Amino acid sequence: MLKKEQNDYITQTGPGTPMGELFRCYWLPVLLSEELPEPDCPPVRVKILSERMVAFRDTEGKLGLIDEFCAHRGPSLWFGRNEECGLRCPYHGWKFDVNGQCVEVPSEPVESGYAKKIKLKSYPLIEKGGVLWTYMGPPERRPPEPEYEFCAVPLKQTYSSKRLQECNWLQAMEGGIDSSHVSFLHRGDLHNDPLFKGAAGNKYNLGDLSPVFEVVESPGGLLIGARRNAEDDQYYWRITPFVMPCYTGVPPRGDHPMHGHFWVPIDDHSCWAWSYDYHPTRDLTDDEVAAMKDGKGVHVKNIPGTYIPLANKTNDYLMDRAAQKAGRTFSGIAGIGMQDASLQESMGPVCDRTKENLVGTDNGIIMARHRLMRAAKALAEKGTIPPGVDVEHHKVRQAALLLKRDVPYAEGAKEALKAKKGVRQTSV
Amino acid sequence: MLSESARMSTAHEAGFRIQEPNSKQRSIKVIALDPSSAVLVDQIAKDGWSGASFFTSLSFATQKNPDSASDGSVQAWLNDLAGRALDLMSEVSTCDFVVVVTCAGEDARAVTIIADACALYHKSLVSLVVPQEGMSEQDVEISLKHLRPHSRMLVVAQGIDYIEVMLSALRAG
Repeated sequence: MLKKEQNDYITQTGPGTPMGELFRCYWLPVLLSEELPEPDCPPVRVKILSERMVAFRDTEGKLGLIDEFCAHRGPSLWFGRNEECGLRCPYHGWKFDVNGQCVEVPSEPVESGYAKKIKLKSYPLIEKGGVLWTYMGPPERRPPEPEYEFCAVPLKQTYSSKRLQECNWLQAMEGGIDSSHVSFLHRGDLHNDPLFKGAAGNKYNLGDLSPVFEVVESPGGLLIGARRNAEDDQYYWRITPFVMPCYTGVPPRGDHPMHGHFWVPIDDHSCWAWSYDYHPTRDLTDDEVAAMKDGKGVHVKNIPGTYIPLANKTNDYLMDRAAQKAGRTFSGIAGIGMQDASLQESMGPVCDRTKENLVGTDNGIIMARHRLMRAAKALAEKGTIPPGVDVEHHKVRQAALLLKRDVPYAEGAKEALKAKKGVRQTSV
Repeated sequence: MLSESARMSTAHEAGFRIQEPNSKQRSIKVIALDPSSAVLVDQIAKDGWSGASFFTSLSFATQKNPDSASDGSVQAWLNDLAGRALDLMSEVSTCDFVVVVTCAGEDARAVTIIADACALYHKSLVSLVVPQEGMSEQDVEISLKHLRPHSRMLVVAQGIDYIEVMLSALRAG
């Protein structure tokens, strides 16, 4: 459990809050590249960390993320005309470039220099791995660009999607490091999902429903190992990395692509659940990409033209009691992503952690909260750069492997947990 | 369903959660496995925890071989922080779960006896390895080797403050 003040501290990410300042130390995924597909395409409204902005790709292909509201009288620049290297407010024609600099105030003489004195807040926006990333902290602390493996491999080897999740980011992210729920909530999907089925390791998941956990602090966050019994005096290990503040990896299955998530706060009551899939050494197949687009694996089928899940709280997530009763799904909800999201949203917009009753196997969650709050405090009090900013911390991999029971996990899995260009994932 | 009077998860709806306690006071036994961790546990105990009691297992050291203690009798004694000897079995039987603490590289073999007691009474055993000055990766591995076969959850923390954090999270406060 957390005290109310601790829960407020860790869940609030708006400007000026300790956790908000922590998040503003990192590059965060904001948009898919497909949302700004070409120069002068329509702008997109963005809300991240409780700040409203508008993103656009200008005539020269430059990316901009600027304050959503025109500096003149405050209408949304989402209505703007994206033309000739700037976004023009349709109300009185004021125009802004990708840095938020006002470049035209039609009612004032150009020679007056009035436009030069107007500038909207802007944040850098970069494109990497089919994803647009921003950094919302002070310019002097801007870190190197992200080097997570999923966004470093060639585009044909990676696929990302996103979906709206209508709850605080923390309860969503905690699902990503809570390995013990998989054997219950997702058990039906190991047999059926095209992006999971057929892996030799699945039998260990289903054969041993009482895994033993090891939580180890890593330089960038945590490693959470789940150990299950296997034949020949071996253990089957599934190792989940958490990189601060909000990246989680899901241990792989067979030669299926590897997947994981980013959990990015929109405001304190909603977040973007980002899901990625990639293969370190080969292109994704057409069938794999089709399955991902169809909402299989960790992805979700969205309402066409939106990033809102088709199954959502307005339709009770398309609950299927017959499937629940028959055991086709454990919760009655189809798909791993929405199985998680439905339960996490049901906790309320911000989970009341004063009422929870954690057990020993929840130590991954306890440790993640502790590290986040400790880092936020160190940043606020001493200016300490938090874990996960260093790009070396990004180069971690999830892994699934068999180890002899007397082989130390840190030693046996050491190489498997490093992202290495051109080297296949370690998976069973 | 149309007949349902509550809808999903708006902030307004969340305000109607029943405000009654949903659990009773937990009883956690925190046992230091070695002299270094005994010092830490002693300090933490001074903060006053209503749901946790604190022990050292140093009296195990007087037995000849902790590894061979699982002879079925599981007779062992704990020292509480006032120095009194208490029966391990009786302490474990009345608790909800057990947390053992060791400093990296120290002799943690006493966990064997505690694990036997936990197994007998079907209690979960959580093991926590905390750092000490000058420790190496090998030191951590020594601790893990002792603890791994017996623990439902094993945590390697970088700071000694995690002991208190974990106890608070588990409602021992």
